[in-house]
Amino acid sequence: MIHFDQLTYTYPSASRPALDCLTLDIAEGEFVLITGPSGAGKSTLLRCLNGLVPHFTGGSLSGSITVAEHDPVAEGPQALCQTVGFVFQDPEAQFVMDRVEDEIAFALENAAIPPAEMRLRVEEALHLLDLAPLRDRPLETLSGGEKQRVAIGAALAFRPRILALDEPTSQLDPESAEDVLQALRRLNQDLGLTTVLVEHRLERVLPHADRLVYLPSFDKSKQQVLSGPPRQVLHQIDMTPPLVTLSKALGWDPLPLSIKEGRRFAGAYIAQRQARPSSPAPQAASRRISSQPPILQVKGVCFAYDGATALDGVSLTVGAGNLVVLMGRNGSGKTTLLKCITGLLRPQRGEILLEGKTIAGRGTADICRNVGYLPQDPDALLFADTVAEELQVTLRNQGLEDSPPIVPSDLLAYLGLAGLASSYPRDLSVGQRQRVALGAVTITRPNLLLLDEPTRGMDYQAKQEIVRLLREWQAAGMAVLMVTHDVELAVQAADRVVLLSQGQVIADDTPSVLTASPLFAPQVAQLFPGTEWLTVDDVLKD
Amino acid sequence: MQAARPSLDARAWSFWAVTVMIAASLARNPLYTALVLLVTIIVSATNVPVHNNRAILSPLRFALIVIPLSALFNCLTIHLGQHVLFRLPTWIPLLGGPVTAEGLVFGAINGLALTAIFASFAVFNHVTPVRDLVRLTPRAFHEVGVVISIALTFIPQTMRSLERIRQAQAVRGHRMRGLRDWLPIVIPLLVSGLERSMGLAEAMVARGYGAVYEKAQLLRTQALLALGTLALLGGWLLWLFVLLQRGIAMAVMLVGAGIVLGAVWQAGRVVTHTVYKPRQWTAPDTLVVLGCVLTLVILLLPLPLDRNTLYYSPFPSLSWPSFDVFVGLGFLGLLVPAMIGRGGQQPI
Repeated sequence: MIHFDQLTYTYPSASRPALDCLTLDIAEGEFVLITGPSGAGKSTLLRCLNGLVPHFTGGSLSGSITVAEHDPVAEGPQALCQTVGFVFQDPEAQFVMDRVEDEIAFALENAAIPPAEMRLRVEEALHLLDLAPLRDRPLETLSGGEKQRVAIGAALAFRPRILALDEPTSQLDPESAEDVLQALRRLNQDLGLTTVLVEHRLERVLPHADRLVYLPSFDKSKQQVLSGPPRQVLHQIDMTPPLVTLSKALGWDPLPLSIKEGRRFAGAYIAQRQARPSSPAPQAASRRISSQPPILQVKGVCFAYDGATALDGVSLTVGAGNLVVLMGRNGSGKTTLLKCITGLLRPQRGEILLEGKTIAGRGTADICRNVGYLPQDPDALLFADTVAEELQVTLRNQGLEDSPPIVPSDLLAYLGLAGLASSYPRDLSVGQRQRVALGAVTITRPNLLLLDEPTRGMDYQAKQEIVRLLREWQAAGMAVLMVTHDVELAVQAADRVVLLSQGQVIADDTPSVLTASPLFAPQVAQLFPGTEWLTVDDVLKD
Repeated sequence: MQAARPSLDARAWSFWAVTVMIAASLARNPLYTALVLLVTIIVSATNVPVHNNRAILSPLRFALIVIPLSALFNCLTIHLGQHVLFRLPTWIPLLGGPVTAEGLVFGAINGLALTAIFASFAVFNHVTPVRDLVRLTPRAFHEVGVVISIALTFIPQTMRSLERIRQAQAVRGHRMRGLRDWLPIVIPLLVSGLERSMGLAEAMVARGYGAVYEKAQLLRTQALLALGTLALLGGWLLWLFVLLQRGIAMAVMLVGAGIVLGAVWQAGRVVTHTVYKPRQWTAPDTLVVLGCVLTLVILLLPLPLDRNTLYYSPFPSLSWPSFDVFVGLGFLGLLVPAMIGRGGQQPI
C-alpha cells in the first residue's frame, strides 16, 4: 500500500536531512503507529504520504514514495487528497467553516462532487464517526474530542484508502483522547482503512497497533529505523509506557501491550511474592506529606464567568516543598483557579493567601514577583530575539535587572539550555520552548510555582527533564501546584493530588486516591488493583 | 445549543441590509433615522442568537463612540448656524470660529445614521452562517468568498489569542506604560497568527483545496478584464470631455461593461464548485424582499406624500423635524424579518 524507498528529505535551509535514507513498507489495512523522540522526523514522514512534503514545504528530496499506486512527489497533495485523508494535531487550526456538516462538506464542494453524491458522503462520514446528533452544532460548542472527530470526518469525506494522523490526541484530555482512539479503531477494523498514526505517548495507542515504527533521534542517527510488530520493536527501545517498562524489567514474555494482557502476569507475580515468607505486603514508596509552613492558602474561593459557575467554594493549601497536582476533566475549573491565584481573575467570594498575606488589592505583576505561573501555551509568553533576552525581559519588568535573584546563565544551565542562550526561542522544540518559558517565569525565584499542563505535546525524555527540575526545586523548598491530564506524570511527581469536579474539590489526598477512578488510574495501579503501587519504581523497589 | 438553521435566505438578508443602508443614508431626518434604528434593533432582538462569537462591537458601543465623535468633529469644523455655544480663536486653522448648536446637532444626526447602518450590518453578520456568506459571492470570486469566511472565523480566534498573550505577559510583570510595551503583545500575536495561517493553509491543501486553473485560461481572463476596464474608462472620459460624442461614449462604456461581465462569467465557469444542501428560496424570503421594496418605493418614487419631511437640516437655525405618518409607515416594511424570525433559528 505504502512504500518508501531510500527516501532522504532535507527542509529548505536545514543543514541535515529530516529523513535519512528511509525504507519502509506498510500493508493495506494495517494500523501503524509511528513514534520516536521530538525532531526525529515523524511528522515529516507523515507529510510525505500526501505530498505536503515537498510540495507545501519546499526542500530537497531523493528516493521514491509510492502510495496506493500514486507518486505523491510527482502528483502533489491536491491529487492525493482523494487517497490520503490527513488529520492534524490541533483540530481547531484546520477548520474553515463554522458548523459540523458544512466543515465535512467543504472539501467535497470544492472538488465539485455532485450534490446528491455529496449528501451521501457527508451522511456516511457523520455516521462513521458518530457525529449525526451533532451535525448542526457550531464547531466552537464542541468538546476537544468531538472537534477531532469532525476533523477525521472531514478527512474521510473523499473516502480515502489511507488515514494519516499527526498526534491527534496530544491536545486532548484523557476522556476525549479515548473517544478519538475508539473511533479510529472502529474505522480500521470495520472499513479496513489503512491508518498511520504519529504519537509519542504510547500508553493508549499500543493495544490498537498492528505495527510499530520507531524513528530514532537524530543525534543517534547510527541507530536504525525500527519497524515491526509492536512487541518486537518495544524490546529495542528505551522510552516506553509504564506497563511495558515494568514488563521488560520483570521479564514478562510475550510482552503485554494492554492492561488486560498484563493482568495475567501481574496476578502470578503477586501470588509468587506472597509465597515468599519474608516479603511484606505491597506498599507504595513512602511519600512525605509535609507539615511545612503554608505558602498558598485558598479559602472558599468562588468564581463565575457571566453567571456560569467555574469555582464553587474551593479550598486547598500548598506548603513549602510540596508538589500538589490538580486534576479533573476539561472545564472543571483548574485553569480558572490558577488565574485567580495570580490575580488575573478576581474571585467573587473567598480569600487567597500567599505566605499568610491576602492577595486582594494586589496587581498581577506584583503577585507574580513571588509566584511563577506557566500558562498552557508557552508560545504566548515568548517574543524576544534570544533565549537569554527572555529572562532579561522578566527581570526588567520586575525592576530586578541589577540584582537578579538567580544569575540568568546559571538558570539556563540548570534548565539544560546553556548552549541555546543566543537562539531564537520560537525555533526550538516544544520541550525546549517550554523550558525557556519556565525560565522566564522562575528567574524571579518565586516561592510558589503554578504550572498549567507543562508536559503537553512532549515526548518521554522531555517529560523526564521537567520531572527532574520539579523535584530539585521542590527539594529547595519551592511550593508547586501543577495542573495536568497526564496521570503517569502526576503519580511520579506529586505529594498530593487534588481532584476538581464542576468547580468543587472532590478529593484532596495522596496520589493513591487516583486508583479509584478508571479514567485517572495509572497503568501500574490498574495492573495491581488492591495494592498501593502507582509507579514502576514502586513495584521494583518493594 | 439547539440544532439550528437560519430561517431566512442570505440573499434576503443582504437585500434587507442594503435597504436599511439606503434608508438611513437617504433620510436626513433624525426622527426617521431613529425609527430605522429602532426597527433594526427589534429585528436584531428577534433574530440574533444570544451566544454569538462573531460580535466584535455592539451597536450600542458603536453609538456611544461614533455619535459624540461625529458631533464634536462637525461642530468644531462647521461654523454655520445661529445658536453660538462659544467661539474658538480664529487663528486656529480649520477649528477657529463660532461653535454652534446646529453644527453639533448635524454631526449627531450623521452619527445616528452611521449607527443605523452599522446595526443593520451587525444583524446581517450575526444571522448569516459563514457558509452562506461564501455562497453569496459570485462563482468567479469563490476564492474571495472563502478568504472572507476564513477572515471572519479568524477574528474571534485572534481575540482569544490576544487575551491569552496579554495574561501570559502580565504574569511576568509586564505593564502597559508606553508604545514600546505593545511589543510583547504584538509580536506573539503576529507570530501566532502567521503560524495559524500556515497551519490552515496546509490543512486546506491536504484537503485538495487550491484552484487548478490552466495558466492560459487565467491570462486570458486577466487580459479581458484589463481590456474591459480600459474601454469603460475611455468611454467615461469621452463622456466627460467630448460632449458632442456622448452616444459613442455610451456605446464604448457598454462594450467595456459587457467585456468585464463576460470575463467574470467565463472565469466563473472554470471554477468547479458544487453546493451542499442548497437552501431553497421560501415565501418568508419573498415577504422580506417585498417589505424592503415597500420602503424603497416610499423613499425613491415620486408618490404624493410629504417627502420633504425626509430631508431635515438644522441650519440655519434649529427647528423641530417634521414627521409624515405615511413615510413613517413605509419604513416599517423593514420590520418583516422581526415578524418571521423565531429566535433567528429554526430546527430542521
